Amino acid sequence: MILLENVSYAIESRELISGASLRIGQGEFAALAGENGAGKSTLLKLIMGLIKPTRGDILIQGASTRDRKVSALARTVGYLFQNPDRQLFGATIRQELSFGLDFLGVSKSDAESRVEETLGWLKLDPDRAPLSLSRGERQRVALASLFVRRPSLLLLDEPTTGLDYRECMQMMNTVARLNREDGVTVLMITHDMEIALDFAPRMLTLSGGRIIADGSTRELMRDEAMLKRASLIPAQMVALARRLGLAPGEADDADSLAEWVASSVKGGAQRAGHT
Amino acid sequence: MPGILEYQSGDTFLHRAHPLVKLLLAAVICVGGFLTQSLWVNLALLALSIVGGFALGMGRKVKASLKGAGSLCLFLFVVQLPFVRMGRTLLPLPFGLRITDLGLRYCAQLGMRLLGATLPLVLMLGVTRLSDLTNTLVAQLGIPYRYAFVITTAIRFIPVLFVEMRDVIEAQTARGVELDGSFKQKIRLIPPLCVPLLVSCVQRMENNALAAELRGFYLRKRGSGYRRYPLSAADAPALAACALILIIAIIT
Repeated sequence: MILLENVSYAIESRELISGASLRIGQGEFAALAGENGAGKSTLLKLIMGLIKPTRGDILIQGASTRDRKVSALARTVGYLFQNPDRQLFGATIRQELSFGLDFLGVSKSDAESRVEETLGWLKLDPDRAPLSLSRGERQRVALASLFVRRPSLLLLDEPTTGLDYRECMQMMNTVARLNREDGVTVLMITHDMEIALDFAPRMLTLSGGRIIADGSTRELMRDEAMLKRASLIPAQMVALARRLGLAPGEADDADSLAEWVASSVKGGAQRAGHT
Repeated sequence: MPGILEYQSGDTFLHRAHPLVKLLLAAVICVGGFLTQSLWVNLALLALSIVGGFALGMGRKVKASLKGAGSLCLFLFVVQLPFVRMGRTLLPLPFGLRITDLGLRYCAQLGMRLLGATLPLVLMLGVTRLSDLTNTLVAQLGIPYRYAFVITTAIRFIPVLFVEMRDVIEAQTARGVELDGSFKQKIRLIPPLCVPLLVSCVQRMENNALAAELRGFYLRKRGSGYRRYPLSAADAPALAACALILIIAIIT
């Protein structure tokens, strides 16, 4: 799906991305983490073709982004910006979702059914003005306006920034559903390690324009030195499990940790009963 | 690298000059270009700005201004040229249009006046901090702070809006919008590009106005501000240059 081969990107001799290589398969959900200025957004823009690598190559579904226009890439790749207001302009949500489908050559009836289907899971009044919605709702409308184009890859640039807990969960559950049910590949920038742990099985970490770690989110959460290097702190559950001396993956979420605590307490009580 | 309308640090005599003297010099070059009837004086003023810009280490700004304003001047030259009917006809054109010697002269002078008015302002902003300009406008010219603030904020916002526009274009391109489509498609692009930019500008203005008000914007008086800007002997050559340019422009 996405293949980066030794990709570098520089502006005026300053290298923002250095020798990045990675492969993300169809249907994967990966988080991209790192400190501010590490090059996360630049990497996403490179994948979207908004900027072209100075060295190396990026292949999306086997085709290089160098030779393709962004508008052509947008047929298969959806890019959600951190600020939804840069993408929204329609007078109504329905108009927002319908925009550009004719550019893609989608027939009128197909366009209508796609819009209706998307409105179905968006659960917002289609006649409302997008700019009158809350930040979280605007973010979801922006996501819906991408999804209506049926992309096979979603690039999300900090989609939960500025959202409250409820909006954040609504947003992430929508993304997770698209990934799970429609097989959409997701690459998401986040600073929130709780979200990375809950939703992304794979995590990539960037520091100084280099990919310094790529692997299972649960395992990387335990790599204290790497997290420190990327100015990240582990998810609370992982930190607690580590403090309790548990092995990686043994109890990294609330349910399994609660089970472990309950069994430990029960075991302790039984031992106390024997003595 | 500072943008075309941003301050560029340096230690030239113009960087050290009094902000009002720099503003006066830029204004005199602009006005002089419109006062003179001589094409040669226009050319000389333009050359002065170009050479001065390079001497100040602002060659990049000069080139960018010449490229931007130059294309507008060229467009105006081409559009106006066939419609000037005065003078000797050099080349007759269809539909009763013609190119005349006076037409060439007027259109060339118009272009040079526009370029000559753009470059000094760009260079003045390159050697003057906007805060210094605001302070002197308020303290020494007595312009109410709110007006001085509006002028300098408008200038400061131009590069910000360019960045915002670039981001909006990126966002819409990522949605599959083609910027190089047919004329009809370009017309359809106006809402996707203009609405987000307008929304962002209004939001930014509202936030800035609120923030400024909360920080005592309306309490500022003419005597407020810690910095003082006294005229010095080093400003004399620039003032003399202003007088000279004005005299030459009036008598030619």
